[in-house]
Parts: sequence; C-alpha cells; structure tokens
Amino acid sequence: MAHPFQCITSISSDNGSCLLAACGSKILSVKLDGTVASEWSAEAVLQSNSAENDDEEDKRPAKKQKTAPVQAIVAASPNVIKLVVSPNQEHVVAITDDKAVRVFSIDADFALNELSQRVMPKRPCAIEVLPDNATILCGDKFGDVYSLPLVASPINGGNEAVNSAPQPTAVQPSTFKPSATTLTVHSGRNRLALEQQMKQKNLTAKSKEPLKFEHKLLLGHVSMLTDHTFATREIDCKQRGYIITADRDEHIRISRGPPQAHVIEGYCLGHTEFISKICLIPGTDLLVSGGGDDWLGVWEWPSFKLRRKLDIRAAISGLGSEETRVAISGLWIAPAVNIDDGMPETVLVATSEQTPALFCMATKSLLEEDSTFTTVEIPKSPLDLTCIDDELLLSLDERTTDSPRLQAYRLTVDASDMQTTVLASRSQETETKLAEANKSPSSKVEEKPLNDLLYGIANLRKRGDASAPDEQTAE
Amino acid sequence: MAGPPQKKQKREEKQKDGELPQKKYYRQRAHANPFSDHDLKYPESPAAMDWAQHYPAFAEPQSANSDAIATPRAMTKQVQVADIGCGFGGLLFALAPRMPETLILGLEIRTSVTEYVQEKAKALRVQHSVAGADESASKAVVAQHENATANPQHGLYQNVSCLRANTMKFLPNFFHKHQLSKIFLCFPDPHFKARKHKARIVSLTLASEYAYVLQPQGRVYTITDVEDLHHWMVGHFAAHPSFERVAKEEEEGEKEDECVSVMRTETEEGKKVERNKGKKFVAVFTRIEDPEWP
Ligand SMILES: C[S@@+](CC[C@H](N)C(=O)[O-])C[C@H]1O[C@@H](n2cnc3c(N)ncnc32)[C@H](O)[C@@H]1O
Repeated sequence: MAHPFQCITSISSDNGSCLLAACGSKILSVKLDGTVASEWSAEAVLQSNSAENDDEEDKRPAKKQKTAPVQAIVAASPNVIKLVVSPNQEHVVAITDDKAVRVFSIDADFALNELSQRVMPKRPCAIEVLPDNATILCGDKFGDVYSLPLVASPINGGNEAVNSAPQPTAVQPSTFKPSATTLTVHSGRNRLALEQQMKQKNLTAKSKEPLKFEHKLLLGHVSMLTDHTFATREIDCKQRGYIITADRDEHIRISRGPPQAHVIEGYCLGHTEFISKICLIPGTDLLVSGGGDDWLGVWEWPSFKLRRKLDIRAAISGLGSEETRVAISGLWIAPAVNIDDGMPETVLVATSEQTPALFCMATKSLLEEDSTFTTVEIPKSPLDLTCIDDELLLSLDERTTDSPRLQAYRLTVDASDMQTTVLASRSQETETKLAEANKSPSSKVEEKPLNDLLYGIANLRKRGDASAPDEQTAE
Repeated sequence: MAGPPQKKQKREEKQKDGELPQKKYYRQRAHANPFSDHDLKYPESPAAMDWAQHYPAFAEPQSANSDAIATPRAMTKQVQVADIGCGFGGLLFALAPRMPETLILGLEIRTSVTEYVQEKAKALRVQHSVAGADESASKAVVAQHENATANPQHGLYQNVSCLRANTMKFLPNFFHKHQLSKIFLCFPDPHFKARKHKARIVSLTLASEYAYVLQPQGRVYTITDVEDLHHWMVGHFAAHPSFERVAKEEEEGEKEDECVSVMRTETEEGKKVERNKGKKFVAVFTRIEDPEWP
C-alpha cells in the first residue's frame, strides 16, 4: 500500500518553483523539472516530559480517540501534519505530531535544511509565518495562539535561547509570571498588585518544565481551536494586522495583531456547527468559513457581517454518494484565467472530507445572487492543494502504488453565460514531471493509523454529550 | 435538561405560584467540566437571543410587524450586569431591588441550580408585583435603598433572571461588544490542583473576553475565600493591559463600592464563609479604554 501525501505546499523563487510534499514523516522537495531535490525525515524530538497525555483528555471531540502508549509515540517517527512557507519563500515551517514546530531554510537547489525544533506545550493545529517574515503564529487545539520568532536565536553553543526576562511558561498556565506575556503591565497600581503577587510562592506550580525558547501567548479560546489566519488592512496609510481565529464552538474571533493581540475587535457569529477552515479572499474584505454547516459563510469581516451563505451541501449531494454531511477539510484560493480575455482570475476551492471533488467558485461571484459551486470530480478524496504559477497541484488519497498520488489542473473562469462557471483541465505536462515524485518513497503504513492521520474533521461534530457529568446530584 | 425525575416531581408538588422554591430540591454535584460539550443551548449571536422571555416587563410592546415572529422581540433595555457562576443567586436577588431599572443576569453552568434561580425570580415577581397584594412590600424594599431612584412601574425583580451557560466558551454569544457595566465573579470554583488550573474562570486569555463584553470604565468584581485563588485572579487581571485595579478604599472600608458590600454579605458563599468566620478576599478592576492602534 502506498502512503499518500498528507500535506503539500510550494515555493516559488528566482531559482524556479518547487513542490514540497509530506509523506508520513518525510518531506520531499520536488523540482518541476521532475527531480527530487531533497528528502528529509522527521525524527522524534526527545521530550523531557512525556507524561503529557493527561492534558489531552478534556478537549477531545466527543469521539474517544485511543492514545497510543507513550513508548510507541517516542519510537515512531512523527508524521508531518502541517506545512507552510514564509511569504518571502525563504523558510519552510512544519508541524509534526510530536507537537514540534520545525523550521527549515531552503537552499538554491531547494534542499531543506532543518534549523530548529521547538516542542509546544500542546499539539499545534494551525501555523503561519506573518508578513514580517520573522514571526510564526501557532495555534494549538487547546485554543491558545502563540507567537514565536521564526529563527530561534541560539545561545550556549547551539541551545535555543532562553529569554532572560521572566517568561510565562506556556507549559504551565498555572505559573503566573506577568512580564511573560505580550500583555504588559501598564500602570503603577497594577505593577504594585503584581509585585505583591510575585511574593506569593504558591504561584509556581511545579508540574511542568517551562518552555526553553522565546514565545508569547497572544490569545486563547477555551473552545478547541481549528484554524487561524492573519489579515492586514490599510487605515490612514498605516497597516493594521488582525488575527482571525476559528473554533469548534462556532466562533470566528477577530483580534488585533501583535502587540495588541489582547484586544478583541469582534466576532463573526452565525455558524451552528463546528468551523474547521477559514480563508481570506485577497483584494477584498471578505472571509470564507466552513465546517460542519451545510453552507460556507462569506463574511465582511471588518464589520463582522455575514454577507452570504453558499450552499455546499447541495453540491455534495449532487455527487450522488451516500455521505452528504459536510466536513470542510480545505479552503484555498487558486489562480485561473478568464476564458474570454485571458485575464487572471481567482477561484475559491473547497473540499469536504472523504468527498472526491473540488467545489469551485470564482471569487468575483462569491456575492453574486445565484452563483453556485462548479463541481470538479476527482478520482479519490483530496488531501491537500497548492498552486504553482497558474496551475493547481492536488494530492489525492491514492493508496495503490500504480496510480498517481498527485495531479495538476488548470482552471478557467467562464463568465460569458448568466452563471459564472469554472472549468478544470488536467495539465499532462506537469503531471509527467511529477512522475518521479509519484513513484517515490512510500513509507509502510496501516489503514487505521493512516485514516486517523488524514481524516479528523468529521470528528469535530458534536454528538449531544448525554453523559456530561454535571447532571449528577450532590451528596 | 431537568434534574432527576423524582426530584422534579417533588418540586412541582410543593411549589405553588408565588411560592419560593426550596433549595433542597435543586442541589447538584458541585463541579461541571467547562471543557465538555454538555447539552448547552445558546444563541448563535447576541442578536438572536430572546431576552423578552427573561425580562417580559422590559420587552417592547409586540408590533403587528410581519417579521416579528422571525426575530426576537425588541427590548427597551439590555442586560448590563452579569453574575458569572451565580450559583443559587443570592447576589442577584440582593442587587435587583437596589437597581430596579438595570437588567441583571446570572449565568450558571449547572442545570438544576439555574432552574432554582429562575423559579425564585418568578416567585419574587409575583410577590412583588405592583398590581398584587404585596405592593406595600415592594415599596418597602425599594425604600430601604436610598439610591433606588425609580419607582418601578412593574413591581420588583422583573429585572433579574438567570440562564444556563458555560461562560468560558459562550460569553460572546450572549453579549455584544462593550455591553456590560459590571461583571461579578464571586467565589469561583478554586480548582486547587495545578493540572486543573485551566478550568479556572479567570485566565489571561479569558480576561480579553471579559474586556470585550465590558464597556470602558465597566468593572469586574472578584471575591473568594481561597487566598491562592485571589492572588491568581489579581495576577491575571493586573497583568492584562485592559484592566486596572481600583483604589484600595473602594474595595474595603467606608468608601467601599456598594457592590462590594453586597457581594461580601449576600452571596451564598459569602454567608457560609461568614458563618465559619473565614476570610474574604476582594479585588475590583476597571476596564480601561483600548489603546490607539500602533
Ligand atoms: C462556588 S459556586 C459560587 C456561587 C455564587 N457565585 C456564590 O458566591 O454563592 C461557583 C459556581 O460557578 C459555576 N460555574 C463554574 N464554571 C462555570 C462556567 N464555566 N460557566 C458558568 N458557571 C460556572 C458552578 O456551577 C457554581 O455554581
């Protein structure tokens, strides 16, 4: 059985373009001349503290997931679960399922070179590099969002920097160390209050070691965090940054960007099922969100207004398969050309878990009254998607060794009719170049763990937790 | 969801209109896990919340408007005071006659306890309705408080209600930005073990949510008998740039904020601590304006 590529992304630089594809614990960089430039394999980060499993119990989705014994976790190579590239295309950041954030530099020949590994207190679920190309934003499923410097500054012969200032340790929210956070103490009176606090020894819980690298807790949800994205707007000739976060309890929160991430500007509310993905529409003030609801939300996020609900359940039902429940696994913006004038366009591409199709809509028609999704059927369920130049590369859940795991498409927008539609055509030329990547390594894998790795979204749906412990009576 | 059927039945047998509910029928296990899903009902947004059902005396008269069915009834006032984890509501019922024109809401995660507070509000409304026989009683209660300016047209306790909610997750579903003027956090569950600290109702990140629903100059009132928890709450609010602790005189002594006195003496927990001659730790914070964008 072949292991599909669970995440893909791409780099475009002066040296050309390159596809990065994660297969289990490996990351391949595949040049578009067809050669594999490098292959990197994750090794588990040795953790000083492996008794972390007890932290996970409270926030799980209703379905119980079995926790592998700690031993097994340490022995196995960790899987890559997220892969992103910095805006300037100079660094790659991966999350592996040993809770590590790993940063890579990319050399001229697209080989990856691992610079650092930082093990977060909780398993990260979303990550991005901010427009400053120097800061990582990293959200974990327990709802906290941290910022980390992209390049961890080494001290003491290669160790990661420990901030000399008292750091609030993310590992133990119980340790209260004020200067630790971005939330700086601002008034004399509060400083006094804090000093008094610091005299209390009890504030330090000894349960866990503090993180040994620079990090800041920016904001947190008590609900399970599912996605975040960083937005900017220009107001009075100045850039303002915003952190937009989404959670399993139907919230989309808009906070200011650092250094004022403690200010919540507002919420986009209206979903009635979990939200799993959010996606900004470039050049607009629109945000698209999706999850377990039958529709995708189109929000004018600066005013928190829901402008439109796009019926995606209808598109899924159109496929005629049995499972029509929505579990949005991806939202992307892909390039396209206009069929009439050849001008560039952009297309929103949505996928739903275990549903072999891409649901496409030209971004310019998101708010048009009766625009609908164009369904592009694909051979297997989509896992991830990335764009190189004007093409879209797609990773499929293909587990046989003789069919390709990667496909390439070109999108065309046809606005000549009443209804704007999206056409997709395979790009044979690119697929030929990907042949080698399609052949290469295929870690051994079993069905069940692979399914757990690839498909976690539908589990976010709530099940009416009848066994909630609060219904019992006292004494 | 209601409590066990047997209890429910007993409650209904005993309780007549206008008769106060009895606590013994509403007791419930002390702790609820704030991280589990429960079977919570909450509006998808504050605009979708039907407040008229909680405060009928403050609902706009029903219009003949056709979309009146779809949208919740408009209100003449919004909730301004929230008691988070209100328990059996001692504070709520003490505050209500003191500020009869201010809507006060208790939020409580335990079902039966919530029901108790709702029943008690109903009964008190009947007992203190203007039309009712007890008019003089209402007047007397109002008269006790010098700064109760209004002579409420609708009797007392119309301004107090309670709903079931996990406030750690769903505060923004109930309240608009800057809606509240006061938030009370009275005798929160201490969750002593370090591993359980994340279940505490105060944290640096939750303080951002309290700041979101509070108007600038609004206040957070905290009280506890657990010194460690007091330091925890002070530490987290003081470290948050949106909050500033008020002057000592307002927390204690002659110039004490009236709400502090009420909170000390009228909460169920406050009374318990009093009986056991325990110490009470109070801290009050002002929500300051958001900073200019950098
Ligand atoms: C110790 S009692 C204090 C009751 C009351 N404030 C008093 O002072 O008498 C704490 C209350 O907070 C409630 N509570 C705990 N977590 C909560 C949450 N996340 N949302 C709402 N209520 C919560 C508990 O159910 C409990 O009734």
